[in-house]
Amino acid sequence: MLFTLLRKEFVLEFRQRYAISGIVLYVFSMVFVVYAASIKVQPQVWNVLFWLIILFASINAVVKSFVQESGARQLYYYQLADPAMLLLAKIIYNTLLLLVLSLLAFGAYSVVAGNPVKDIGLFALILLLGSLGFSIAFTFIASIAAKANNSATLMAILSFPVIMPILLTLVRLSAIALRLIQDTSYQRDIVNLLAIDAILITLTFVLFPFVWRD
Amino acid sequence: MWWKALSVVLIVYSLIAGTLVPLKPGITYVSPQTARSGQQLVLQLHGYNSFYAQSPANDIRVWLQYDSAQALTGQQIRVLNDTTLEASFLIPTELPRPTASVMLNAIIDHPADGVSLLPSAIEIVKDSIASQANWSGSNISGLHVKKDFSFPYRNVIYESIRNTYFHVPMWFVLMFLFIASAWNSVQFLRFSNPAQAAALDEQKGRSLLDFDRKAAAYAEAGLLFGILGLITGMLWAHYAWGAAWSNDIKQLMTAVALLIYLAYFILRSSFDEPEKGARLAAVYNIFAFASLIPLLYIVPRMFASLHPGATGNPAFGSEDLDNTMRMVFYPAIIGWSLFGFWLAQLRYRYQRLLDKATGLD
Repeated sequence: MLFTLLRKEFVLEFRQRYAISGIVLYVFSMVFVVYAASIKVQPQVWNVLFWLIILFASINAVVKSFVQESGARQLYYYQLADPAMLLLAKIIYNTLLLLVLSLLAFGAYSVVAGNPVKDIGLFALILLLGSLGFSIAFTFIASIAAKANNSATLMAILSFPVIMPILLTLVRLSAIALRLIQDTSYQRDIVNLLAIDAILITLTFVLFPFVWRD
Repeated sequence: MWWKALSVVLIVYSLIAGTLVPLKPGITYVSPQTARSGQQLVLQLHGYNSFYAQSPANDIRVWLQYDSAQALTGQQIRVLNDTTLEASFLIPTELPRPTASVMLNAIIDHPADGVSLLPSAIEIVKDSIASQANWSGSNISGLHVKKDFSFPYRNVIYESIRNTYFHVPMWFVLMFLFIASAWNSVQFLRFSNPAQAAALDEQKGRSLLDFDRKAAAYAEAGLLFGILGLITGMLWAHYAWGAAWSNDIKQLMTAVALLIYLAYFILRSSFDEPEKGARLAAVYNIFAFASLIPLLYIVPRMFASLHPGATGNPAFGSEDLDNTMRMVFYPAIIGWSLFGFWLAQLRYRYQRLLDKATGLD
C-alpha cells in the first residue's frame, strides 16, 4: 500500500511537471540572487545563506503537498488507504524531493559562490538529515495549513518556529563540516537531531487522524 | 477561593522581602589594584553594606589568598570608616607559580559583618629576579558567619540579585501554563469524536469548545508571562551584561517560543467554523509544545550562553541560591503560578460568557 501511494506521488509530480520545474528554478534564482548580492562569500556567510536557501526552497516545495489535489480527491484517498500511510508516503516522497533539491542547490551554489566544505561525508549526512527533518515538520504543517484559506502565509508562520531547533542544529553541524567550529563530539548533535525527528514523527502519526477528516 | 488569596499573599511577600531585605556585606574593590613582588604594600579595601567601625581593629582579619593552602595575612589593620579598611602586606619575592603575574582574592573576616570575599582583587606582578617558591601556609580559619536575614553579595550583579525573585519565576509560570494549555488541547482531541462529545454535553452543560477556550486562555497567560520574563531579563542584562539584548541563545530561543504561540493564535482565528479551528489549533498546540522542549532544553546546551550555569546546564545551578534566597524564591514561584492560573481562568470564563452572549456556543 505504501509503495502504491509513493508511486502515486511520483506519477503526480511527473504529470504536473510545472510544479517541480518551478521549484528548481526557484532554487537557482535564489542562488543567483546571493551571487549577485555578494560576489565573494566568506565561509561563515556561505553557511548561513546556504541554509536560508534550503529553508525557503523546502517550504515552497512542501506547501503544495496537500493543496495540489482537490478536497474530493483527498477524501477518496482517505477512503481507500489508511491516512497514516498516506502521510508516510508524502513524508518519504518529500524527503527525497528535498534531498534532490538540496543537492541541486549545493551544486549550483558551489559553482557561483565557491565550495568551502572540508568534510564532504559529514556534509552529505547533514543534507540527508536536514531533508528528513524539514520533510517531517513541513509535511505535517502543510496538512494543517491546507485546511485554512491563506495557506501559504499560514505555512510560513506556523513552520518557522517549529523548524528552529532542527535548523539551528543543522547550521551548527554544517559549520563543523566547514571547519568553522572545532568539535570532535558532534555525534551528540546528530543524536539530538534524530531525537527531535523521532519526537516530531511520532506526534505526526498520533495527530494526523485529527487533521485529515472534516 | 483560598488559593487566589494565597497567590496575592505570596506575591506581596516576595515583593516586600525581595526588595527590602539588605545584601550581606561585600568588598567592591581594593586599591591599588596591582603590586610588585617583594613590595611592602598598604592596601585599602572598600566595603559595601559593611560596618567595619563596629568592631575593634585588632579583631578584624584580612588576607590576600592565592589558593586554599596559600595566603598572605594582613598586618596593622586600621579602620578608616564603616566602608574603608586599611591593611599592610609584605608581598614575598617569590611567586607560587612561574607565571608573570598572579591574581589574589581579598578576604575580610569581621566579627559583626562575617566573612566577605572579592575574587581576583589584586594582581601581583613578578619582579625580574624573582623565582618560584611556595608561600607559607594560610591561617584562614575560625571565620565569623553573619547570621541574619540577608541576601548574598555577588560581584557583577550586586543589588540586581533581587531580580532572581521576579525574572526566574516567570519562566516557571510560563512552563506550567503552557503545559496546562497543551493538556487542554489533548483533552479536546480526546473528546472530539461524536460519541464522546455527546456524553460530554450531557454533563451539566460542559461543551467540547470549553477545552479549546481553556487551551487558548492558558496560552495567552503563558505568553504574557513570557513577555514579562523577557522584559525583566532584558532589564537585568542591561546592568549585568552591559546590553539589554546580546543575542544570547536563551534570549533567541525564548523569542522563538513566543512566536510559536502567536502563530497558534493566528491559526486558531483563521477558520470560519469554530470547531474546525479549535481542532486544528489543538493539533498545532501539541505539535508546537513538543518542539518547545528541544527549543528550551536541548538547543541552549549546544551554544555558549551568558546565563549562569551556561554550557551544559539549562538553568542556574543549586550553588546560585542560598537558604535565605530560597525563602523568597520558592514562595515567589508558587505565588506567581497561582496568579497565572487565576488570570487564565478569568480569561476563559470571560470568553465563554462572550461566546454564549453572541450565540457562538
